[in-house]
Amino acid sequence: MLAGCTESLSIVHPAGSAAEVIATLWWVMLIGATAIFLLVTVLLVLSFRRGEQPSGPEADARRERIWIQGFGLAFSLIVLAALTGYGLYVGERLLPRPGPDVVTVRAEGARWQWRFTYDDAPGRTTLGVLHIPARRQVDVQITTVDVIHSFWAPRLGGKLDAIPGHVNVLRIEADTPGDYAGVSAEFNGRGYTGHRFIVRAHDDAGWDAFLRGETL
Amino acid sequence: MNALRRHRELERIWSSRPGWRGKLTTVNNNDIGLMFVFVATAYFVIGGILAMLIRSQLASPHSAFMGPDVYNQVFTMHGTIMMFLFAIPLFEGLTMHVLPRMLGTRDMAFPRLSAFGLWCYVFGGSILIFALLAGVAPDSGWFMYPPLASTLGSPGVNADFWLIGITFVEISAISAAVEIVTTVLLYRAPGMSLEKLPIFAWYMLVVAVMILTAFPPLILGSILLELERAFGMPFFQVAQGGDSLLWQHLFWIFAHPEVYIIFLPGAAVISTVLPVMARTTLLGYRWVVVATVALGILSFGLWVHHMFTTGLPHMGLAFFSAASTLVAVPTGIQIFAWIGTLWKGRPEMHLPMLWIVAFFATFVLGGLTGVMVAIVPFNWQTHDTYFIVAHFHYVLVGGFVFPMLAGLYYWLPHFTGRKRYFKTGETAFWLVVLGFHGTFLLLHWAGLLGMRRRIDTVEAGSGWELINLLASIGGFAMAIGFALVILDVAVNVAVSTRSRRNPWRAGTLEWAALSPSPSYNMASLPEIRSRYPLYDDPELPARIARGEGYLGEPRDGLRENLAVDISSGRPRCLVIFPTNSVLPIIMAAVTGGLFVGMLIKAYWLVPVSLVGMAVIATWWAWTLGSGEDQDPRPVGNGLVLPLASELKRPPGWWGSLFLLLADVVFMGSLLFGYAFLWTVAPNWPPPAYLKPGLLGPVLVLGGAALSIGGIRLAQRALRHDEKPWPGLLLNFAGLVSLGGAAATVLARTVHDAHAFDATLWVIAGYVIFHVIVAVLMTMFLTLRAVVGYLSSRRIGEANIVGLWSDYAAVVALLGLGAAWLPGAFT
Amino acid sequence: MSDILRISLPLTVWLASFSAVYGLQGIACSQHWAAAGLDVATARVALTAAWIAALAVQVAFVFVLGSPRFASRSLFVRTVSRILAAAGLVTTLWTLFPVVTTSVCI
Repeated sequence: MLAGCTESLSIVHPAGSAAEVIATLWWVMLIGATAIFLLVTVLLVLSFRRGEQPSGPEADARRERIWIQGFGLAFSLIVLAALTGYGLYVGERLLPRPGPDVVTVRAEGARWQWRFTYDDAPGRTTLGVLHIPARRQVDVQITTVDVIHSFWAPRLGGKLDAIPGHVNVLRIEADTPGDYAGVSAEFNGRGYTGHRFIVRAHDDAGWDAFLRGETL
Repeated sequence: MNALRRHRELERIWSSRPGWRGKLTTVNNNDIGLMFVFVATAYFVIGGILAMLIRSQLASPHSAFMGPDVYNQVFTMHGTIMMFLFAIPLFEGLTMHVLPRMLGTRDMAFPRLSAFGLWCYVFGGSILIFALLAGVAPDSGWFMYPPLASTLGSPGVNADFWLIGITFVEISAISAAVEIVTTVLLYRAPGMSLEKLPIFAWYMLVVAVMILTAFPPLILGSILLELERAFGMPFFQVAQGGDSLLWQHLFWIFAHPEVYIIFLPGAAVISTVLPVMARTTLLGYRWVVVATVALGILSFGLWVHHMFTTGLPHMGLAFFSAASTLVAVPTGIQIFAWIGTLWKGRPEMHLPMLWIVAFFATFVLGGLTGVMVAIVPFNWQTHDTYFIVAHFHYVLVGGFVFPMLAGLYYWLPHFTGRKRYFKTGETAFWLVVLGFHGTFLLLHWAGLLGMRRRIDTVEAGSGWELINLLASIGGFAMAIGFALVILDVAVNVAVSTRSRRNPWRAGTLEWAALSPSPSYNMASLPEIRSRYPLYDDPELPARIARGEGYLGEPRDGLRENLAVDISSGRPRCLVIFPTNSVLPIIMAAVTGGLFVGMLIKAYWLVPVSLVGMAVIATWWAWTLGSGEDQDPRPVGNGLVLPLASELKRPPGWWGSLFLLLADVVFMGSLLFGYAFLWTVAPNWPPPAYLKPGLLGPVLVLGGAALSIGGIRLAQRALRHDEKPWPGLLLNFAGLVSLGGAAATVLARTVHDAHAFDATLWVIAGYVIFHVIVAVLMTMFLTLRAVVGYLSSRRIGEANIVGLWSDYAAVVALLGLGAAWLPGAFT
Repeated sequence: MSDILRISLPLTVWLASFSAVYGLQGIACSQHWAAAGLDVATARVALTAAWIAALAVQVAFVFVLGSPRFASRSLFVRTVSRILAAAGLVTTLWTLFPVVTTSVCI
């Protein structure tokens, strides 16, 4: 199902609310950046088609007001302030705040596999496949047994590193049941390219079955 | 004396010896600058070949011909070579060559130091290339994160090559930076106040200060990681109180400013070349100065944006995200100042202007994606993907390589005295620029589709096969283009016709000198009245050659130069420069012995090299100064100036001050690391904190009092033409006592027990190192006093020693105080 | 040299206060803060106070660098240093406002 699916690791094909919010952010920024790039290009091209220009300190003072204070300072500050605020707002929404319905799982990175355990199914371990319930917020507690790794399922959320001695918590969410590709996203040596995993999101019944030990 | 005789006499005084012996003993800025550029270009070619290997590997799912072990070395070395062995040395070489003439002075501030830096770069870089050829190149990525790069992940010698080789090369960057700061501040044509500095000089001043403050954290980190690998000192190992995040902080505190250290010289070239191409002057000069200073300092507050995915709390990330977006403002000010300059003038599409247009098209795009990845949630998706790879190639190639090529073609007539004949340069331009965008534009999209960086194959069905194939084709086109640039320059240098001086009709001083530049740079030093001396006075070149400026009459075969007041540019003193010397290359070789000893684990080489370095340094310093008070001398135009050796703060004092700035940042980074581990690292507190006891604090307090008091006593004695023995003896005793205090810390801790002990060992070792340096300097000063090189006028050396002696006392108090602090309170 | 200091001091002081506030945030979210009996609300108060102090220092620079006693004799340096002082104030405002808008320790 995953082989040949060119969207499986795609940031711009989100499959959960966290990834969706980030994808929207990307499209907004792309539109803004394109507009700015076109503006700069037009200004640059026009500069080659000018005739003789007024000179002298007054003309220069006027130019400074337009180009440096207008474009350089005011324009930049306004655009960047808006973007910074937007970015911090989105970031706040993605944080793993405690809640009654949050499911906690654990991902342990090692060279070169992933080992998953489940707070709701103590003693249960899976290798290479992380089982989660769909349509619920899932906190992944990420650790490592050796070097730095990174847990990343692009369609379900951003990535978070596995740092020795630390436990990092990532919130992911899948909108619909299915399999979602995941990769280790911090270079860790020889087996890095193939260091992958799958996130398997179950519907309610499937999740219960998994917790009871009926699914492999 | 007519112009020709003056030229011959000055050339005789200032030139290097002929042949290859001349290259090994030269201290001349033009020779050394050119050698830096040649070696940097050679490293660029090697780095480019590695890039072609990468692109061949990734062109398709079936094109992988390197296994991961080899591939990992290839991409690590590609990044390492480009970031450390190409970019900074290239602009250092350009600066060393052209800056003295632009400032209207005769040479860089410390010619032998220039040569020493060159040879450290050549030898250090060779160590890394040796590793590449021997198949043991570093393979953990150019940023070498532990535990992957430590003994756990990299048990072999590969990582040691990086840590040791790069640290050796960094000596070159630090020495060049000390020189550039001192040159811009002290060595200019009389009358060149800060306001009249060429904009290029402002940029390089900021860049040089950035180098002095950005490199020490990396040097510290490299030393810590090497100590961990060689001796088991657990700075980054969690089990014993270390933390791998410490490396990331130290590395990125260096590496973020590093990319601005690389961009700002590109911007310097744009600010210099673009107005000339537009037949006008730079719009908003003071705003550009403001923007450059702001960019330089702000860039030190961005580093955590490389660590957004490491699990730090959102507030911390928010600080750095905000700073990372704000930094686009001074960048934008410069961009719009440049466009405004084009609107002000009449731009002409010569080849340098073509490269500048390519800069705009490329760097602006890279800057826009940079602002995108400054936004935390977006960074959480794109970090470690090809989106980032595409972004940084856009800003580095667009913001550094393209402007440097603009500068190359701009100054080529000035370096060679020849006019470009063949138009291969234009063909090369299109190949490079179209090839570059062909390579990297679509790679942004591959990153968004999920392609991680550093993967060794493009797998079938991944979705980014076509993009990579196109990128590889683009890459080859770009490589051919770069090869054509090198060919173009070589052919034009060899066969073109001689051209008139100043074909671009620029206004800055370098165009007043002969082309190609003579060894002495300027036949006489002109009085400066504005920012564009050649626009004020088109006759200036002839008047300089006729000796109408200062120092127009060479005398006694001496290499003479003028130092000026920092703010106003008023001439302050006459400086006699050293001539050709074999000491720099020997010093670089002996320094290399230290590094090689660490690398091959022949640790006896380390103290042997240190002794050798001390001996050579003594000899080096001994050649300066004089045995008697000298009268002030006439320097032309009726002005009479004292010799530099009779100033309270000679140029060497300023050089020491700036070197100490780097040293202070090193110490600050060490204390930061200590505080970081105490706050954040797991497995603290250690089994036992070190108790201060009585002996240590007594030794450090007494030692500080004796050394600080003693050196002042000696300086006071000298000021009254008395013998400084009592003061020097007290200083010596005080320094030894400080060393003893540090030794008590070593005696009571075990270096590899816990990160706390290991940190204390580094602090104590740092104190002892500075005590030894200060002791050697005090002994040197004593010898100089005995032989009669010091007097109430010739007191500069005593003031320099005072700087280092005081510094040793301060670091002992601070460092050992910090070491004893936890133990004193628990 | 004093002209160089006038130009570089405001933003350098920003860098120091920025690093100090970041360091304070690190300490506030470490085990040492809770061990000292302090909580997240106190952390936010402390961080905000540090921000206000940093802003006050920058405001002082703006006035000092314009005052006749400390300003440079060169019009160029006066202008450049005053613009950079304003930049220091804006930078302190912009880069540290998250102390009041953002979660402290997650």
